[in-house]
This record gives sequence, structure tokens and C-alpha cells, in this order.
Amino acid sequence: MINKIKELKITWGSAIRVIVGSVVAVYLIWRVVIITFGSGEFGPDTWVRFLITGLVIGGIYALIAIGYTLVYGILFMINFAHGEVMMLGTFAGYFVLEALSAMPAPGTDANINFLNAQPVLSILLTFLAGAGVSALAGYLLEKIAYRPLRKAPRLIPLISAIGASIFLQNAAQLLFGPQRRQYINPDLLWRGQGWMIPVSGKSVMLTYTGGFSFVLSILLMIGLFILVRKTKLGKSMRAVAENKQAAALMGIDVDSVISKTFIISGILAGSAGVMWGIHNGLFNHYVGFLPGIKAFTAAVMGGIGNIPGAMIGGMLLGLMESLGPALLGLDFQLKDVIAFAILIFVLIIRPSGILGEALTEEKV
Amino acid sequence: MKLKSVFVLLVVFVLALTACQPSQDVEETEVSVEETEVSVEETEGVVEETEAVAEETEESDSSLPAACLEDELGCAVIQAGETIKIGMGAPLLGDYAMFGIDISQGVSLAFQMDDGFEGWTYELVAEDTGGSPEAGAAVANKMVTDPTVVAIAGHIFSGSTEAAMPIYEKAGLPMMSPSATEPTLTQRGSTVFNRLAFTDADQGKFAADLLFNELGFTKIAVMHDGGSYGQGLADVVRAEFEALGGEVVAYEAITTGEADYVAPLSAVAAAEPEAVYFGGYAAEAIVMMNQWSQAGLDGVLFFGCDGTYGVEFTDKTGPNGEGAIAVSLVPPDSDEKTAFDQAYFDAFGTEAGELSAFSWSSYDTGGVLIAAIEKVAFVEGDTLFVPRSALVEAVRTSDYVGLTGLIKCDAVGECNASGPTFYEVVDGVWVPLD
Repeated sequence: MINKIKELKITWGSAIRVIVGSVVAVYLIWRVVIITFGSGEFGPDTWVRFLITGLVIGGIYALIAIGYTLVYGILFMINFAHGEVMMLGTFAGYFVLEALSAMPAPGTDANINFLNAQPVLSILLTFLAGAGVSALAGYLLEKIAYRPLRKAPRLIPLISAIGASIFLQNAAQLLFGPQRRQYINPDLLWRGQGWMIPVSGKSVMLTYTGGFSFVLSILLMIGLFILVRKTKLGKSMRAVAENKQAAALMGIDVDSVISKTFIISGILAGSAGVMWGIHNGLFNHYVGFLPGIKAFTAAVMGGIGNIPGAMIGGMLLGLMESLGPALLGLDFQLKDVIAFAILIFVLIIRPSGILGEALTEEKV
Repeated sequence: MKLKSVFVLLVVFVLALTACQPSQDVEETEVSVEETEVSVEETEGVVEETEAVAEETEESDSSLPAACLEDELGCAVIQAGETIKIGMGAPLLGDYAMFGIDISQGVSLAFQMDDGFEGWTYELVAEDTGGSPEAGAAVANKMVTDPTVVAIAGHIFSGSTEAAMPIYEKAGLPMMSPSATEPTLTQRGSTVFNRLAFTDADQGKFAADLLFNELGFTKIAVMHDGGSYGQGLADVVRAEFEALGGEVVAYEAITTGEADYVAPLSAVAAAEPEAVYFGGYAAEAIVMMNQWSQAGLDGVLFFGCDGTYGVEFTDKTGPNGEGAIAVSLVPPDSDEKTAFDQAYFDAFGTEAGELSAFSWSSYDTGGVLIAAIEKVAFVEGDTLFVPRSALVEAVRTSDYVGLTGLIKCDAVGECNASGPTFYEVVDGVWVPLD
């Protein structure tokens, strides 16, 4: 009986949370209704464009966010160098495409390079290179920067991660130069071309690169989900996340599982990096910084440590960035402000994120 | 008890009221104004001293020609064998050295290529300011003590120019800056300061005029990157375009450094503009250009500024950038320009425009000053006399055609009469717009 009353007892914290939450929610809904139905500033075709942009960028955020969440789930640390792992993948993909475009295709005349003669193979090679380099980078990062600090207090690997991030950024600048580079896509997947979708009398372009990135990110997420849920490796990953000592006692090689986790998150980040390059074109050594921060935000919003949460968080963040300013009738300059304001709002309502479970003592 | 609570409420109310007023800003600006005034007074004090020295030396010279006695500021007296000196305060060292080096090279090349005046040649005396106002005032104080310095090419940065202006004003040294763009510099009643540089306000005005009158657009969208340069330009264009009678159907700001601007561009496209003006830099303009058709802006003109001009824009936009318009300090091709480019390369081993975009306007600065000096200078015996206030007048009334077009100063010293040069991308290359 006493327990029941305790459960029902309204604390100050929860009361404030509910009040703030409902005020913000009412205001947001009111703004959205006013803007969407009141002014008619944007036609349906514009909304579809916003939606497409949001989903494509959201898919990329989601892939990177999964990396944060996987590592957090197992080591309870934020791998702040994850954005740089993605950056290395972007560079690897760029160099492969560059090399392929300079290479003549076997058996054809010299006017057609390998890239356009074998576009599917080229794209596959590019993704393999990007994912491979990022996986290697993730593996080495863990070996060099995090493993020696496994027993140290929790803040120490965090500092090490920030250091690794700065180191990788500057190393890339010294190695590859500070200038902006542009991806060379095969003609089949050229940027700025796409399917025209008729929406209320106007045609909206769904770019080939955008559609390709979105489908690929969904496929990779499904693949990861199967890996975590159905395979032995996934099972041992979940076991290590649950309890390292108990997992070790059950005969699981904890170190190797941790290494494999970093490799998997590296593969996803590298693929996201190549997608970023293929879809957006321009990049330099800072390419990983902003998506890294955004994906971290997405992971926290979805509930850090929770894989479907990271996917949903990434998609939501992408949509909020593209739809938010239009829905609220604000400048697009403020899209980050809106996204982070919504993050704070989500954390006020649900401190553990959208899909987050109540964290155990150890994880907090 | 009640009284007390009423009092507390009153206090809170008053506090809230004062908090709402933007009084802090006002105070801050007032303070800064006072500070600058103090510094101006200080530098003026120095000028008075140095002038007193100059007057003494002039008074001792009794054999002056009548024109010099009539001139209220007296004459610069240049003996045979001396050179006619033109001063310059420029950042020759440090982070901004490329501007100072390029501009001093451009001006000195104008002097080298000139035959001189009645046997006297011109010499550029360039002193380093590092671009800072303090050093600008120090250089100015040094320049006014040299009686053979007749005019100033510069200064280069607006802050340094601002600090030097009152000093040259007192000494009567005419200035011609190729690069100081701060709009208010010519609004302070200075008789000596003139500039070839077009201000951002001028650029915006010319852009709005071109869009409305020449290109015939009536509905445009204005975008900017939120920086003081980009937003400043965008605001001018919006105001001027509306003043001309056009309609600005969308006004959108973007964040810098992003790789995807489809969403803001789509929002702009929804307003169905005929052209989009963008105030900002090439990095963002390239991304925007590449996503132009994706956002539904096919057939809509991209109109940039001098921040978006450059080879990187054409390189990275490829066919997407075709037809885009931007602004540049680089003058249109002419025989004179080709000759200058060659002479510049021969003299300094770098291409004109490689260090900064001011190579050509600094050459014109030298040319304008030479023309003004030749108008008023005269020789008596074996001495050259340059009446100072007549020279100030001559520079202000310059009417000269240089590489950058017509140079004709208005009443306040804005001398770039032909305005900025607009460029259009044709077949992947920037070509001057007719």
C-alpha cells in the first residue's frame, strides 16, 4: 500500500516536466497548424522536397548514430572520434573513385573509363574501400586509444576520444591537404539527376544518389538488426553489453567482441561517409565533425545504447532539420537550434530517450 | 506587511522594465564612441605638434613662388635629384601581408611605368601597418613629417584608414584608397579622403539596378549566409530592389559549411522567384548551385557577389553553374589590362590577381595620383613645387580612365564611377556581362 502511494506521488521534477512539456507541445502544435494550413506558403511539392531531403540525410545520421550506440552499449563511453572514422571512409571512397575514373576500361576504347564501363562494380569497390578503411580505423582506434584505458575512470576514455578526434582531423589535413574535394560519380549515379515525381501538378526530383543512399542505409540497418538479433556474434555482443564479467565467465572473449563492435560501427560509418560523398559531393577533412555531433544527438534522442532508437533518432533528426524551420515558419539558419531544442524537449519528457530503457545503475 | 510586499512587487516590476529596455546596448555604444573620440583627440594632438615643426621649416624658406604663398597649406618643395614621394600605410607583414604586398606592387608599378614629371620621378614609400588602426595612425604621423611626401595611396584596411584620416586632413595630404570599403569613411566630411574601392553598399545598389533595370526581373528571392558581409549585401539588395519597384518574394538565411541546402532552396523555390540573389562565399554558393534543379529552381538565375566569384566556383559547379552571375574587382579584358598583367608578372614574378584582387585598382590608384600631381605641380628654377591644397582639390576632381574603367570622384570622394564589373559563367568560364 505504502509502495503504491509512493509510486503515485508527484515529485517536483515530474510536475515541472509535465508542465513545460505540455506548454511547449501546445505552442508547437499551434505554430505548425498556423503555418501549414493558415498561410499556405508552401505547396505540397515543397513539402515532398523537404521530406526527401530529411529522409536521405536522416538515413546517413542513423548509420553513424548506430556506431555511437553500439559502442556505448558495450563500453558505456561516447566514442567522439566516430565522426572522424566516417571522414576516413569518405576519403577512401574518394580516392577509389578518382583512381577508377582515371583507369581505362579493359576491352573498350580509351574514351570510356572503368568507372562508367563498370558502374556497379565501381560503386561496390568504393563502398568496400570506404567501409574497410573505416573498419580498420575503428579497430585501431579501440586498440590504441581506448583499450589501455579500459580500467580507468569513465571520463578518461572520453578525453582520449576527443584527443583521437582532433588527431585524426589534423592528420587528414596534413596528409590530404585542407582544400575541398569533390566526388566523381559514375554517370549512372550523377548528382543532381533523378526520377521526377509528379506532385500536385509539379514534378519533384528524387535524385538517384538520394534514393540510392536511403535504400542502402535501410538495407544496412536491416542487416545490422539481423546480425545483432540472430547471429552468435550478436548474441555475444548483447551478453557483453549486459554484463562483461558474466559474459566472460560464459566463455565469451570480451576483448574480441569489443573489437568486432568497433569494426561493425566502422563499417556503418564508412558506408555513411561514402554515401555522404556520393550524395553531397563536396567534402574536406572536417566532413565528419558535424554529422558526428548530429548523429550523437540522434543516438541520445533515440535512447543511447538502443539500436532501433538510434535508427529512429537519426531519421527524426534529419526530418526535423528539413521540416522544422518550414513548419515553424523560421529561417533555415535556425535548423540546428530547432533540432537541439527538440532534443532538449525530448529529454525533458523522456530522460532516457524515445526508445531508451531505464538505465541500470552501472550504465548511468 | 502588505506595504512590504507591494514594495517588493514594485521593485520587481521596475527591474523587469529596465531589463526590457535595450539600455545596455546604448551605453556600450556610447562608451565606444567616447573611446574613439579620445583616441582621435590624442592623435590630433600629435598632428598639431608635427605641423608646428613643418610650419617652422616652411617659414624659414623666404624664396617661395606666389602660388605657394597663396595656397593655404603651402607647397611641397622637392629639390632636383629628389623624388616625388607617395606614402602608403599597408599590411606588409603578418596575416594580411598579401593585400599590402599586392597593392604596393600595383602602385609602384604605375610609378615605374610613368616617365616622371619634368625630370622628377615618383617613389612609393610603403610602411607596414599590419592592418591595425594604431599602426595606421603611427604611419600617418611619420608620413606628415616628410615634406616631400605629397599624397597617400591608401591606406589599405578601413580601420587603419579611419585612424589615419584626421592626421592627413590636418597636413593636407590627399588620400586615394584602392581597398578601404567601410561605407561611412566618405560620410565624415573629410576633404582629403577618396577611394577607388566600391563599398558593399555600392555593390548591392549596382546589383539591384542590374537585376531590375537591365535584366528586367520583378520578383527575386534574397538569400545570405548570416555573416556581416553576406547579410549586409543581401539587406542592401533587398532594400534597393524594393525601392526600384520590384518585389522580394523570399528572404532566407542559411548556415555556413553545410553540404545540403535543398531544404532552404526548396522553401525559396516555393515563392517562385525569377532570380535568386545570394550574399556569401563560394563554399556555400557551390553547394547551392549543384542542388539548384533538385530544389526546383530550374531556369532561375543565380546572382552572386564578389564573395562567390572565382575559379573554384566554375570548377566545382561544372555545367550546373552555367549562367550564374557574380561580381569581381578584376576589370574586363583590354589591351591595357594584358599589358599590365605582363608587366606585373615581369616585375614581380607572380600573376596579377594572385595575391589579392586589388592588383588592377592599385595600379589605377597610382595613375590617378600621377594625373592629379601633374595637373598642379610646377617647376621654378631647379625646384619642383606641389601646392598642397590645390593637389587635394585636384585629386577630388579626378577624371581619369584606368584599367577598372572611369574614375571620377563625387563630392564626398567616391571615385569608382563605373561600378563593379559583373561576370557571367559561359561555358564554364567567367566572362564580363555586357
